[in-house]
Amino acid sequence: MTQHTNIAKTTAETLPAERTRSGRCYRPNVDIMELADELLVVADVPGASGEDIDVKFEDGQLTIHAHVPQRQPEDTQYLLYEYGVGDYYRTFEVSEAIDSDKITAEYADGVLTLHLPKAEASKPRKIAVKT
Amino acid sequence: MSLIPWRSKQQQSEESPLVACCREMDRLFENFFREPLSAWQWPFSDAGAWMPAVDVAENDREVTVRAELPGIEPKDLNVSVSGNQLIISGEKKQSEERTGKDYYHREIRFGSFRRTVPLPEGVDSENVEAEYANGVLTLRLKKSPAAAPRRIEIKTKS
Repeated sequence: MTQHTNIAKTTAETLPAERTRSGRCYRPNVDIMELADELLVVADVPGASGEDIDVKFEDGQLTIHAHVPQRQPEDTQYLLYEYGVGDYYRTFEVSEAIDSDKITAEYADGVLTLHLPKAEASKPRKIAVKT
Repeated sequence: MSLIPWRSKQQQSEESPLVACCREMDRLFENFFREPLSAWQWPFSDAGAWMPAVDVAENDREVTVRAELPGIEPKDLNVSVSGNQLIISGEKKQSEERTGKDYYHREIRFGSFRRTVPLPEGVDSENVEAEYANGVLTLRLKKSPAAAPRRIEIKTKS
């Protein structure tokens, strides 16, 4: 895709290998923040329901895959058609050492929030200077 | 706001940029003469830096408008119908915990928005249902019975 397909969504540049469903895949908008003891990942995935979101963390790769059902029947007559409806897919390389057992996820109002706690070894530590 | 011309994806991929440009110009003119006021409000209005994507579908009974509005509390959303215009406005608030953080990546926009969508004739502005679920706002606007297609009986003289 060379052009913007619409205002809010971009089609995913890489399609997940395991896809068995046809249809377009979109790249959700994501914010990533670093806090003292965790990474916070926030993704906009409107239209997905909580149970249909698949989050994986494997070999330093974080994958978000949200299944989104169609909103309108196939033969709908559109007066305006600005966004497509389809699955969301996105992968990130996470360089910080993450404690993968403690990753938590929340979903509300179309927004997915992931907390990736840093592993003990990579947390900042204050070293006392002896005098 | 209504004149901002979003093209559908199918059209975009099939035609040359020149044809697309021509159509865009046509649309701008058309909208200007139809609704000169709303056309000239938008460059000067301070409405938000982002706008939700909307789709509008129509059938015999109702018009369905769906907007993707992730992360907005329903109480921060305003929907109104005036004349043949539907206005969706609101504010996407940034939560306290997210301000002043170190961002690695920033794609989500915050702030207020206002979107005007022209409605087809015959919509009953009293009869509107609104629903917000999983970040998608769905509005169903019933058409008034007078606007429903009616079959007209043709009498024959015998």
